[in-house]
Amino acid sequence: MLNQLLKKLIKTASGRARFLMAVAGLSVALLLILSAVQIQANYNELLYSKTNQDSVANFLVINKSVTEKTVGATNLSDADIADLKAQPFVDELGVLTPSRFKVAAQSISDQIPFYSDIFFESVPDEFLDVQTADWKWDENVNYIPMIVPNQFLDMYNFGFATSQDLPQLTQDLVKNLPMEIKIKTADGKERYYGKVVGFSDRISSVLVPQTFMDWANARFGTRENTKPSRIVIRTKDPGNPQLTSYLSNHGLTTDADKTRFSKYRQVVDTVVNISWITGALMLLFAVLIFSLFIELTVASCKEEIGLLITLGAAPKQLQRFLMKQFFPPNIIIALVVLLILSVLQWLLQQWLQTQHMYVSAVLSYTTLIAAAVILLVLWMVNRFSINKYIKRNA
Amino acid sequence: MHIQLQQIVPVPLKDKFSKRGSDVWNNNLQFAPGEWIKIKAPSGTGKTTLVHILYKLRSDYEGTILWNNTPLQQITGDALAAMRQQQVSIVFQDLRLFPNLTARENIELNRVLQEPYCESSTIDAMAEVLGITHILHQKAALCSYGEQQRIAIIRAMVQPFSWLLMDEPFSHLDQQNITKAAALIAAECTKRNAGIILTDLEDDTFFKYHKTLYL
Repeated sequence: MLNQLLKKLIKTASGRARFLMAVAGLSVALLLILSAVQIQANYNELLYSKTNQDSVANFLVINKSVTEKTVGATNLSDADIADLKAQPFVDELGVLTPSRFKVAAQSISDQIPFYSDIFFESVPDEFLDVQTADWKWDENVNYIPMIVPNQFLDMYNFGFATSQDLPQLTQDLVKNLPMEIKIKTADGKERYYGKVVGFSDRISSVLVPQTFMDWANARFGTRENTKPSRIVIRTKDPGNPQLTSYLSNHGLTTDADKTRFSKYRQVVDTVVNISWITGALMLLFAVLIFSLFIELTVASCKEEIGLLITLGAAPKQLQRFLMKQFFPPNIIIALVVLLILSVLQWLLQQWLQTQHMYVSAVLSYTTLIAAAVILLVLWMVNRFSINKYIKRNA
Repeated sequence: MHIQLQQIVPVPLKDKFSKRGSDVWNNNLQFAPGEWIKIKAPSGTGKTTLVHILYKLRSDYEGTILWNNTPLQQITGDALAAMRQQQVSIVFQDLRLFPNLTARENIELNRVLQEPYCESSTIDAMAEVLGITHILHQKAALCSYGEQQRIAIIRAMVQPFSWLLMDEPFSHLDQQNITKAAALIAAECTKRNAGIILTDLEDDTFFKYHKTLYL
């Protein structure tokens, strides 16, 4: 009964056009902001969910780009490495230790003769993509296990062997190929047996176990402690634009194929950001219009409100009544916007499925939380303006 | 509910009353619960000002008013509203009805502003007594001043109160209607054991006053 009488006294109809404008503005603003949140959520899902990714972690070998300026000075300082390690996109970092002695490899077999000067590098075991029981070394083991890049074998089999009329080799054959490793020392040469125990797609270098490298460098190393020039990092997202921009800013380079997605990422990020900013600006204006609308309503009923308070209406009673008048439209707007977004999300899911990309068919919970947060902000703005204008009239 | 007035004088009337005496202005007074008090004064001596000061519609005065030992200045916002809903009812000289509401709605509003003190049918009964049943559905703006005065009186009667403030409440009523209205008010105040503060220009015999004060 009281509400009916108050409704008769405090008419909101005086500003219907303004009310509709405020509603329209708020709806568009909410739609933009919440779509930005949803797009971001979808994008994250596409990037990080297991169905859309081959492997959870990615490894990148990073070194300084060799240009005219950096020739001969591609070593990475401790500071460079520490800085890279501190970046948020680096989960783990390993240093590739180079050999500080001269090495040559020679075939013992007569059928496949070869001799080549080579080099070794080593890397902590957790960065290897080859799992084998043969990957260990101590002074009692009579051979040096090696991991070579898959590309070496491919180059030999499809380039060298065919042009030189040599037999093609399988991985197993290479693993059984006996090899002599000659390490040049101050007083001649030390001879060891070598054995290929695996092929790596990850690191393009001839790898030996870290234990051997440390031992050999200490024993045969001719130069002082050489700084590393290559490192390997583990990252969740090689397409992260932050990563690519960090590398290019610091004159570093890596396998470009793995980071090419960062270009698309930047475009999407820009679009999402524009949507965010536009939505936030519109929300600001819509909130402003709403608050002006409340002020106008209260101002146009100034006398009635004054008399109501004179007769004993509590400011709290009037505030509660006005909140009931002004806030429910906001809830309805938010619900309608969420409904529209749900439909759009479902359609998007259907379409992406035909492209073999998988996103959730329902809205992400972050979108729902964002809607709730915005509603809370609107509630506070409504309450604040109503309290302010009632107090002014009391 | 006690009312204490300590050296009250309205700022605009300060000079005037510094020269001549008054029972109320610049005096210490105490109104006990249930007291019926008549305040008599010629025009321009502050009758309406006093009523408005007591009801806290204005605060341009010197001195202190205590409602139940609380300074009126300290009663604000929702506490003031609670006081006006539960303790103090008022009939304004200028009536102050909502012109766009009907007579019934004007009364009903004051009834439902708090937990209703009486049934809605009480309005009909009181309107019957004061002879305004036929205008209950009319907009207040379209009622004559005498009718509006009776609407305002009924409006004051439908809420709980321990004090009833009335500012020349019968100025536009004939003798017959005054008698009926006064009887109604007296009955309601007796029922609630409520006090009356009534201001008027002349002496009257509307109520059995305990005190008559000259402004």
